[in-house]
Amino acid sequence: MRISKGALLVVIAVLVPFVVEFRTALSWFGIELSVLESLVLGGAVVLAIVLWAVWPPNGNAEAELSGPN
Amino acid sequence: MEVTRMSSTASRTYLDQFPAEAKVIKAAFWSSFMALAIGGLLGLVQALHRTDVLRFIDPADYYTVLTAHGVLLAITFTIFFLVGIFTWAVTTSLDRGVVDIRFTWAWYIMMVVGTILVGVSILGGVVDAIPTYADVLFTFYAPLQAHPAFYVGLVLFVVGSWLAGADWFRTWWAWRKENPDERIPLPTFMALTTTLFWYLCTLGVALSILVFLLPWSLGIVDSVNPLLTRTLFWYFGHAVVYFWLMPAYMMWYIMLPKLSGGKLFSDPLARVVFVLFLLLSTPVGIHHQYLDPGIAEGYKFIAMTNTMFLLLPSLLTAFTVVASMEHGARQRGGTGYLGWLKALPWRDPVFTGMALAGLMFAAAGFSGMINAGMNINYLVHNSWWVVGHFHLTVGTAVALTFMAAAYWFIPQVTGKALWSRQLALGQVLLWFVGMTFMSNAMHRSGLFGMPRRTAEPQYQGFNFEPAVGTVGEINAQVALGAVLLTVALAMFLLNMVLTSFNDDSDSLPANTYAGTLSGPEDSPAVLDNLKLWTAIAVVLVIVGYTLPLASIVDSGGLFGPDISGFQLAIETDPALVLESVREVMP
Repeated sequence: MRISKGALLVVIAVLVPFVVEFRTALSWFGIELSVLESLVLGGAVVLAIVLWAVWPPNGNAEAELSGPN
Repeated sequence: MEVTRMSSTASRTYLDQFPAEAKVIKAAFWSSFMALAIGGLLGLVQALHRTDVLRFIDPADYYTVLTAHGVLLAITFTIFFLVGIFTWAVTTSLDRGVVDIRFTWAWYIMMVVGTILVGVSILGGVVDAIPTYADVLFTFYAPLQAHPAFYVGLVLFVVGSWLAGADWFRTWWAWRKENPDERIPLPTFMALTTTLFWYLCTLGVALSILVFLLPWSLGIVDSVNPLLTRTLFWYFGHAVVYFWLMPAYMMWYIMLPKLSGGKLFSDPLARVVFVLFLLLSTPVGIHHQYLDPGIAEGYKFIAMTNTMFLLLPSLLTAFTVVASMEHGARQRGGTGYLGWLKALPWRDPVFTGMALAGLMFAAAGFSGMINAGMNINYLVHNSWWVVGHFHLTVGTAVALTFMAAAYWFIPQVTGKALWSRQLALGQVLLWFVGMTFMSNAMHRSGLFGMPRRTAEPQYQGFNFEPAVGTVGEINAQVALGAVLLTVALAMFLLNMVLTSFNDDSDSLPANTYAGTLSGPEDSPAVLDNLKLWTAIAVVLVIVGYTLPLASIVDSGGLFGPDISGFQLAIETDPALVLESVREVMP
């Protein structure tokens, strides 16, 4: 993992106010997201962050799994 | 000097160093936690009632619950924790115990007795067997009137806190005799400056209670001047915000840098910040009264100017604390413009709780600027916005910092290891998320005028659009936030209880606080001149308050134009209901 599980949890928690406030901020520009759309957006960002966190840093999953020789 | 002192006490917990003081601090913390448990639970009752998710109390009882929630959390929880932290700070940084531990127990017991009187007075509103009432809300000014026991309890609690301050001063004076040429250690300096403005601001509320509200409640005087009691309350009511906040600031200054792996960036800057709070905390209360008729706009403008100056110490704090955290992160191998953030100890609940509390406080600062602006305040005054604001300040910046600090302090004063770090980490994150949902919805609804302090606001049967979404969504978001916060509170209390019964006492951290990159030797000695800063603070109070108070007394009289007050209650006499129905349906 690129970051620890604890740090990943913190990143996801800190993301919550950004998603919630992003919805509020967008409305001032005339873009109104429904609750469902906000949830989907938030879920997508969380998924992207989790994938980034668990993906091996060099992008080579096989090498990561087999470990150094 | 500080680093040397700390190294001599390395690997020893506070309990090892000061066993007698540790007992008082532990008692103060548990008093604080009990207030937090009851007050927090009542917060859930309120949130579910107002949002119409679950209503099992009478609408009139909502205000009893609201009063208990406000008083127990804003006064009892915060100040009991504060006296614990400040006693720790003074004894640890001076490296000596209090002068007389019996005196320390005396002020603690006085505060407990005061709390019991206040609590019983409030609960009398919902328990028929208790002949008291105090549905006066946290702000308790006229014309709402409480049972005399409520005011007596408040007086005992505040006098207890005064004596606690006297205890810290006595301890410092004793240390100064032994160390005449030493600068005041930073944690003690923070405790003493905070105590000084507490003395200054509580004079207003003491005057309000002892001269007006208590005699009025006892029937000794027939009436009071509501605007006068209100102004005296707010004379204290804004400074109390900083009284809660200063222990949190202290934690951010002297614990966060250490937890980050480094040192405090600047001791002199920290002293300047606390001096500024001593000067400016009190002459700002009129900014809570922008909509009060009877106070001239010019006085309100002075209060606004003073309030805006208060942004300076908060911004200095943001700079100093973040710089200290960056220093710590780089000591731990962090690199890059923002990459150092990854090197911080995010798995440590003490660090993460305090850091997230600080982050939320930044948001609270922005909504606070809006509250403080005279013109824009009219938009949000007495709306749910204000509730959202102070749930970010006292409800997160203070409460979350205190809970995170408790994960470090309870092991220090009990000698028992924290029961679960994972649970603690989950708890601080859940509190942060829960408060995000709740405060965002409150701010949004307040912008469109949804009122605070309303048991059952009705938004059906007409077209009303709050900022983003619907009223239903806002209610759901507040209810969700309240439930998450209650779960987080239960997790915190569970961890504290199980820690107290934990047999594991291994690998406890030593009782230390952060050293400094730039120490007291780099700051001018005048910063430690407490008499000078107190005198200036008094002058500012005189400038800010003499003319408004004289004007209020001149126009409304010292004891008011025959205001007899009332006790908040809603009678549900069936005969009255029938009479009302007949009036509209003849």
